[in-house]
Amino acid sequence: MVGLSEGEKHFIRGGIAQDLRADGRTRLQFRAVTVETGIIPQANGSARVRMGATEVIASVKAELGKPTILHPGKGKVSIYVDCSPTAAPMFEGRGSEELSAELSVALQRCLLGGKSGAGAAIDLSSLIVIEGKACWDLYIDGLVVSSDGNLLDALAAAIKVALSDTGIPKVNVSLNAETDGEPEFDISDEDFLQFDTSSVPVIVTLTKVGKHYIVDATSEEESQMSSAVSVSVNRLGQICGMTKRGGAGLDPSVIFDMISVAKHVSQRFISLLDSEIAAAEAADAE
Amino acid sequence: MEHVNPLTGFRVDGRRPNEMRQLRGEVGVVSRADGSALFEMGNTRVIAAVYGPREIQNRSQQVNLKEALVRCEYRMAEFSTGDRRRKPKGDRRSTEISLVIRQTMEASILTHLMPHSQIDIFVQVLQADGGTRSACINAATLALADAGIPMKDIVTSCSAGYLCSTPLLDLNYIEDSAGGPDVTVGILAKMDKVTLLQMDAKLPMDTFETVMELATEGCKAIATYIREVLLENTKQLECQRG
Amino acid sequence: MLQSKSFVKKTKQGRVVKVVREHYLRDDIPCGAASCSSCDAAARRLNADAAAILVIDTNVVLHQIDLLENPAIEDVVVLSVVLDEVKNKNLSVYNRLKALCTNTARRFFVFTNEHHRDTYIKEMAGESPNDRNDRAIRVAARWYQSHLGASARVLLVTNDRDNKRKATEEGLNAETVESYVRSLAQPGLLDLVVVPTSGDVTMEDVEDLRPSKRKVIYIEHKPMSEITSGLRCGIYHQGKLRVNRYNPFEAYVGSESIGDEIIIRGRSNMNRAFDGDIVSVELLPQDQWHETKSFIADDDEDDNEGDVRLAPDSADDAPRNTNSTQSTVASVSSRPVGRVVGIIKRNWNSYCGSLEPMPMPAGSGGVAHALFVSKDRRIPKIRIQTRQLGNLLNKRIVVAVDSWDVMSRYPSGHYVRTIGDIGDKETETEVVLIENDINTRPFSTQVLACLPSLPWTLSPEDLANPNRQDLRQVRVFSVDPPGCRDIDDALHCTPLPNGNFEVGVHIADVTNFVHPGTPLDEEASQRATSVYLVGQRIDMLPKPLTEDVCSLRADTARLAFSVIWEMTPDAHIIATRYTKSVIQSCAAMSYVEAQARMDDSRMVDPLTVDLRNLNSLAKIMRHRRCERGALTLASAEVKFEIDSETHDPLDIGIYQIREANQMIEEFMLAANISVAEKILQHYPLCSLLRRHPSPTKEMLEPLLRTASSVGLNLDASSSKALAESLDNAKRDDPYFNKLIRILATRCMTQAVYFCSGDMSLSEYYHYGLASALYTHFTSPIRRYADVIVHRLLAAALDIAKLPPIFQDGPQLTGIADNLNYRHRNAQMASRASVELHTLIYFRTRPVDTEARIVKIKANGFIVFVPKFGIEGPIYLTSKGDKGGDWVVDEVNQKVTKPGANISYAVLQSVMIHMEVVEPQPHRPKLQLTLI
Repeated sequence: MVGLSEGEKHFIRGGIAQDLRADGRTRLQFRAVTVETGIIPQANGSARVRMGATEVIASVKAELGKPTILHPGKGKVSIYVDCSPTAAPMFEGRGSEELSAELSVALQRCLLGGKSGAGAAIDLSSLIVIEGKACWDLYIDGLVVSSDGNLLDALAAAIKVALSDTGIPKVNVSLNAETDGEPEFDISDEDFLQFDTSSVPVIVTLTKVGKHYIVDATSEEESQMSSAVSVSVNRLGQICGMTKRGGAGLDPSVIFDMISVAKHVSQRFISLLDSEIAAAEAADAE
Repeated sequence: MEHVNPLTGFRVDGRRPNEMRQLRGEVGVVSRADGSALFEMGNTRVIAAVYGPREIQNRSQQVNLKEALVRCEYRMAEFSTGDRRRKPKGDRRSTEISLVIRQTMEASILTHLMPHSQIDIFVQVLQADGGTRSACINAATLALADAGIPMKDIVTSCSAGYLCSTPLLDLNYIEDSAGGPDVTVGILAKMDKVTLLQMDAKLPMDTFETVMELATEGCKAIATYIREVLLENTKQLECQRG
Repeated sequence: MLQSKSFVKKTKQGRVVKVVREHYLRDDIPCGAASCSSCDAAARRLNADAAAILVIDTNVVLHQIDLLENPAIEDVVVLSVVLDEVKNKNLSVYNRLKALCTNTARRFFVFTNEHHRDTYIKEMAGESPNDRNDRAIRVAARWYQSHLGASARVLLVTNDRDNKRKATEEGLNAETVESYVRSLAQPGLLDLVVVPTSGDVTMEDVEDLRPSKRKVIYIEHKPMSEITSGLRCGIYHQGKLRVNRYNPFEAYVGSESIGDEIIIRGRSNMNRAFDGDIVSVELLPQDQWHETKSFIADDDEDDNEGDVRLAPDSADDAPRNTNSTQSTVASVSSRPVGRVVGIIKRNWNSYCGSLEPMPMPAGSGGVAHALFVSKDRRIPKIRIQTRQLGNLLNKRIVVAVDSWDVMSRYPSGHYVRTIGDIGDKETETEVVLIENDINTRPFSTQVLACLPSLPWTLSPEDLANPNRQDLRQVRVFSVDPPGCRDIDDALHCTPLPNGNFEVGVHIADVTNFVHPGTPLDEEASQRATSVYLVGQRIDMLPKPLTEDVCSLRADTARLAFSVIWEMTPDAHIIATRYTKSVIQSCAAMSYVEAQARMDDSRMVDPLTVDLRNLNSLAKIMRHRRCERGALTLASAEVKFEIDSETHDPLDIGIYQIREANQMIEEFMLAANISVAEKILQHYPLCSLLRRHPSPTKEMLEPLLRTASSVGLNLDASSSKALAESLDNAKRDDPYFNKLIRILATRCMTQAVYFCSGDMSLSEYYHYGLASALYTHFTSPIRRYADVIVHRLLAAALDIAKLPPIFQDGPQLTGIADNLNYRHRNAQMASRASVELHTLIYFRTRPVDTEARIVKIKANGFIVFVPKFGIEGPIYLTSKGDKGGDWVVDEVNQKVTKPGANISYAVLQSVMIHMEVVEPQPHRPKLQLTLI
């Protein structure tokens, strides 16, 4: 973990208390965010998001699969996160597994809704090709390349951008009446289905240090937290999911307060991302 | 399959048999690491990060008190290959490549200058299109240089193969999976010493010599490029610091 | 190092995997024009003062390759986009184009437009790949024009109307193939131009052949998507169409999905499929699986039916037997019958033949339409256009097929080249060679460079080689046909003190000179066998090897590969060893000479004694082999005496087999079997062996039917039973037994080479020789199979390393397939050559002779002429009159004329008259008539 001296700890806490953090930000200010799309050419969609020294990559791959018997009208989405040891030596070997699993679960909860797929941020029924027979399986992979805190928010943002970058090839299906068996797929080379990402939420994590809470904490700041609440909020300001981390107990009223702050901050974050996406797309097209 | 067009002598991607793919190197891509670099050979793209020299974390791993401990881990991103396949971490191939990179880099690092310390090299493959092993070594060299770790010489690596009765430099994935031999060579550029040599498949002795020579030429060209990258980087640092 | 900097990425959508490939663009690709000073001079191919530099599109290559091969077309730029498209669409055309581009005598230049910075284009939105490629071709043509400037005229040649229009709009010179060829003012060239089909620019003067008769004759082929889905759900069946060599209106499709052959009857059911096409077939309802009565000439149009030909040697040469059951009125065959619904892969080729005789059209010099008749009867007639009808009418010509639409009875094609006059011996021989795909080109300098320096003599190194035994002191001799110059086997037989014999078979050590991977080896592997025509031999290996260095001549030290046995006096093998050796033959005898020595009881010299010992051993071995069930088969091999000046046949007769021949044969068989055992023991998975499949019941059916009709009961349950009942088939008629054996022989298929890894042990069996294992070891000079076996044996003995090719199963199977294909073709060519010479012989010598009836047909019968080894039809009724008043008795194989009290039965002897007639000028044929 981050090794800090007593003086440094004091400095960080003091700064937060005075609304002037070590890097000069206020408590509810994000670090500079940069977004690039299409960085993994063999993926159907991909994005890199940098927030300060934190850097994550998300890729979306679409494969044709079969829907489950329970949900014949829905496609499948899976999310996996991996923390590269390049980000921190502690991720070496199996060292990243715990954190990777925690991040994966938190993202699944925020983006995929319940087990039935109800309440998912991604419209699973739009992934269906033929009901009961064929659907698109989306594999979303996140990779933490460089870590300086606030990984969850960065990953969620990267996934949102990657999804908006994703083009799913159009499929022409010729069902054979005589065989009534396997459908025939003809995958188009040119036409792509653009994905509707308007309802994909962002995650805003409020980290409680001392009496105050901050957004977009660096790893030094995270080392001083007592607890953190991650709230995922969509464009409409609806709350899609929530996770609380850290051992210290929180007063329910504080939680409500944090949620409303998160809701407010998230709208700012979404518009920030939107403009970054537009800029990235412009850069890509050029 | 014609990997070299018999009429024009061009490869499928438009290269001549003795040409390398486009190279790109960039240092300092992982800001929190002590040294880091990105290295691209065509569509193969890897990141290397170096942590150290620092205190030995696990005493039991220490073998020689008078020398620094060099460790290495190689990892492929889930999305790095065309078909997404979930592989368990630390599979045999990764373990083997980790070992190869560690040994190759160890040969150049002046470990006796840093006793009681350890150096970690982590390489992460973002995109694999053949020649990942070579790209990892080249990235590691850049990252070690970025970390300021004393080295005897620049280590570079390049592969060459033999298809359609032609020696080919720097195979991409399609050429690599054609079933021909693949010779990976690593050299200490200035000292002109071979530190890594691997080959799969069979190859007649005299052909092997020409293929290996070609790979060595490739290593030298990469060394020239890496020197340029480092020089450029130093110049920028100079500018920034006034 | 890295020349070009910019690159674009091309993505291709596979099934689901997104493939990303790099695509480098360069600025150092030369244009190949001699007039250009800025590009690399080494790449110059196109003439500086060419009238025009031609840029051709893909369809021009695909359809007009015969034209491009004509030396009148030069200074052609082949774009890489065209090259790739051609490769994807037609591999054989691609190979021809490749040959053109690599031929230094021609001025064809490949320009890699797809990797040139200025000529690479990206697909535009909504643009089809075809349109994109057309645009790429135009862009490249424009680049050439601006690159070369005023010094050259760049001409885009395309038959695509749209492309031509766009090119003209863009300021390019563009012409159709026809208008370009016209501008060259060489009328003969126009015949090579393929008539464009719909969609392309139509020729101004194309007149429809018979507009009134344009109607749909064939059923439209099903679209590919329907075929693939039909194949998957089992309503269609896929397989290679094989047209019956003896009845072009019947074809077979071997289908894996059914596990049987599907019969296709009639041209309309064949639905425009050619022999060798991969087709998809739909089965007809079972009640349409009728047998048709077998007539000699089956259908209307083709009067070449029922030619006189060489008597078949095996089932592969003989007409297919389909009326397996005794065909009463409407018996339903068990074999499925179907019709072709689509063609998956065409096997169109060029064919040798001649034009159907026709009157010269009035106003000659214009375009005439003619029908081409292929020599290969499996091929339908082909309609062509020509402007030189007078020149072509009595010539053998080569024609290529271009298209076949539903409206036309025959496919359309175009003239390729002339071989020579019909009936001319050289011309007809060339036709035989072309038809059988036999390479007669002289050996290339690269191949000849692999030969040892001549004169070759035994070197001290050879003698010092520990693996090579010096057997020069042994009394070795050879026995071959008279005048044989490529002696590849020799023998010795030395009595041992213990009363046994040491018998050695010495085979020319060809692999000492032919090393794997050399051009010499590649060439031999491709040729696979020497081809023996009447009075001509086409060698597998160059002459210095076959007739000198490897030939085991008398009194000359030669390298050999030896199999040496110790045999008891009753011919049991006690020990076998194999070694490379040096031998010096003491006598090269002919069969006649050896036979005379053995027969002359006054001669007691050591050599003659050796011969007699060998002969007695051989007789025991032969007897034992027959007891095991080996078949003594008979064929009527003919021999010509050739005039040394005119090379015309002087005499014709049946090749006589002597005891000496059988003696040599016996030891060669024994050597082959011994070697087969040895190599299989060492290399169970990659040995090259030879198998002879047991004949099926169905194949033996005609033999049994014929035999039972004359009251002979043959037991064909095993080869041993068959051999015994053949031995017992004796009548007063001295020729009867031989005739039955000849009929039995033609029921068998031929033996084939195979790779031991591809079959199970029980399938290795050689039926004819009744041997569990067999291979070819004894003729490496003229068969490539033996060369392979020599290498295997040498490796098994640890003398040499096994070449890497033996570890490549599929490649080895490919080699075995090629060997079988080439062998088959070599045999067909030999037979065709004999047929040709028979015709020439009888042209001036009509003769009356005895013949045997071998098959009864509805309107006559087929006779076999033992003296000349030929067979042919005799008609009892005139043509077109099917059956007439003759009644066929299928059970007794008899044809009778009620009332007249005349009848002919199978195997009966008849007197016939043989004569060459010319029913049409320049179309001589041999005719048999009853006296």
